[in-house]
Amino acid sequence: MTPTAAVTLATKTSRQAKPATPAIPGGYTGKLLRVNLSTGKVWTQPWGPDEMREYLGGIGLGAKILYDEAGPRVHWDHPDNRLILATGPLAGLPVWGTGGLTVVTRGAMTDGATSTQAQGFFGAALKYSGYDAIVIQGQARRLSYLYINDGVVEIRDAAHLRGKDTWETQQALEAEHGLSGHRLSVYSIGPAGENLVRFAAIQGDYGHVASKNGCGAVMGKKKLKAVCVVRGTGALRAHDPRGVVQAADDIAHDLKTDPSARTLYQWGTLPAVVVLYKLGVLPIKNYTTNLSTVDMSEWEAPKLRHLFAHRGHQCSSCGMHHCHMQVIGNGPHAGEVVDEPEYEGWSGAGWQIGLTDKEAIAWLNTRIDRACVDINEFGWVCGWVMECLEKGYLTKKQVGFHLAWGDVEGAHRLLQMISQREGFGDILAEGVKRAAEKVGGEAARCAIYTKKGAAPRGHDHRGRWDEMLDTCTSSNGTMESANPTHQTEIGLPGRISPFDGEQVARLTGGILGRRHFEDSLGGCSFTFRTRVENLARALSAATGWPYTLDDAMRFGRRTAAILRAFNLRCGIGPETEYPSERYGSQPVDGPAKDHAVMAQWEKMLDVWYDTVGYDRKTGKPTPETLKALGLDWLAKDLWRK
Amino acid sequence: MSLTDTLPVTIEVTTWVTKHVGGDGSGSRSFEEAVTPGQTVGDVLRRFSKRFPDLDAALWDHARAHLGEHIEVLVNDAVLGVAHELDSPLKGGERITLLGQFMGG
Repeated sequence: MTPTAAVTLATKTSRQAKPATPAIPGGYTGKLLRVNLSTGKVWTQPWGPDEMREYLGGIGLGAKILYDEAGPRVHWDHPDNRLILATGPLAGLPVWGTGGLTVVTRGAMTDGATSTQAQGFFGAALKYSGYDAIVIQGQARRLSYLYINDGVVEIRDAAHLRGKDTWETQQALEAEHGLSGHRLSVYSIGPAGENLVRFAAIQGDYGHVASKNGCGAVMGKKKLKAVCVVRGTGALRAHDPRGVVQAADDIAHDLKTDPSARTLYQWGTLPAVVVLYKLGVLPIKNYTTNLSTVDMSEWEAPKLRHLFAHRGHQCSSCGMHHCHMQVIGNGPHAGEVVDEPEYEGWSGAGWQIGLTDKEAIAWLNTRIDRACVDINEFGWVCGWVMECLEKGYLTKKQVGFHLAWGDVEGAHRLLQMISQREGFGDILAEGVKRAAEKVGGEAARCAIYTKKGAAPRGHDHRGRWDEMLDTCTSSNGTMESANPTHQTEIGLPGRISPFDGEQVARLTGGILGRRHFEDSLGGCSFTFRTRVENLARALSAATGWPYTLDDAMRFGRRTAAILRAFNLRCGIGPETEYPSERYGSQPVDGPAKDHAVMAQWEKMLDVWYDTVGYDRKTGKPTPETLKALGLDWLAKDLWRK
Repeated sequence: MSLTDTLPVTIEVTTWVTKHVGGDGSGSRSFEEAVTPGQTVGDVLRRFSKRFPDLDAALWDHARAHLGEHIEVLVNDAVLGVAHELDSPLKGGERITLLGQFMGG
């Protein structure tokens, strides 16, 4: 393979010959890998302890780079848009689930800020190669992939990978480099990303997907098919190795024993199907019902796992029994190896489209990952088409074929049409919001989306108002506050009335920041479902900084404010913080049927704005909030003060 | 005395919470608990959980004054806080469900 650009970075020898310089805190390599695909230039950028303390890594680092380097005219498809693949200070250390990456960019769905996380081995492999993050700009002239092997960084031709799905891409690169398993991490786009499907995702290491806000379309626009990292040979230094191990043990103990986390430890996200159904939160047939016609006891976690021949597929340094590979046992796809669906897979590739054949769902789920689109948005698109065809709002002629609830082969055909932008698939490739607006009429009233354009997660948020409010107000293209976890730790109530808008908004606003802290450390949101105090202790041991719970929340709030400022600069303001008609509708049956979220929406927004310290009219963090967060520079930008 | 005064309350323990009452962490187990006029959701739950120390520890906060964060309590299929509070009276024939909290996915 002839590289289009090849650079051997001089830092390799010095990094391997001696430990990181004392000036660099433990847990960091001290270098960002910068790549300009337009010019073929590759270089390293050092960053220092002050910047590390201020921005940590992951979304914290990515938000600052995005804000500084992607101005308002740099839309998602502009060559100057940045695609940032960031690790954090715990990545590569022996803390569970610290092999992933956070993708930060201006995404295609909202044309605003994006942060989306995936796991596997990428983050650890990159850290061992000597980089804390990769910042990609420009646009290659032809399809390319980025190859990283310690100090060797090359932009290589990827013509032979064109049209391959993500698993085929990884297999091809494994064969090309003679490496597999933990020794080579590959994150790539599939046909959907190559064809700029607006909800295209980035998938890696067989089953891990950074899926939100069209980050795969950004990568496709840059003509970057894959990033391929050979597990580096460098060592990582921790300030207090014993302290890191102690904190890691405490986190693992928490996950194994804490009532809310131990189900994740044992079963991953599988239990959510039954639990969320009982709460009216499992989306069924595009929000047309919340009642199942099948026996839900057959959907409990052990039955979902043991239906298949399976084995663990753990990420770097992870001891959870979460990720699994499995084999389809029956039907037309018998013998095919697939990734065990997460809850979102059972929902987006199953219940949302009226499909309850478990083996069919498992197959479709992996096909979605391989074509590589966001499974949530695929569910909203596919379910919308099914409902519209059933009700006559769309015709067979428009769509190209008839697609009924639960038709797995038809759903797969639709996936292919979307991925290739064929026929009606070209309209659907824009996501359900834009497709519904184009089709109009009664069809438009059935579509589930946020006014910003971001896809809701795979839940029926009409039974979980905190997630709907979070999805609509967020500045990162998905849920930003995310779920309350040990919120009593920061003085918030352990439980609230789920249909009391004021309580919901206080809690959602109150926890803002925790997730950004987690997503800046270089670990998994599931293995980090522990007390923030434990994470802060791990960070302190890794870096030597005396990091506290208050520091963590303040850091997260700072990151949220920077993301919000970025979005406001992009023209995404409070007027977009609403659900679509169907998304915000009142359920017709099920546990949440008596509760109408829109009756309380304005009040919820008022309370949320008050809680987070943002100005309700303009959407800006107030000058007082910014000052309290130490963001005087941002206050000058936002308020000209 | 009305009919509901003589009926017990059903307590349904589901999914992973069954581990605290002798189950394997899946399915559900049902128990019947007597209720007398004036007794509240909290009264019945406290009496019930006392029989299962692991459940007791998981269900309540350290002071046992309030529910902890991790088990959802439903009364007649509605989450606590909607139609019932912890101090709401219960009638015979009503059903309490203990559901393992699950966030995200």
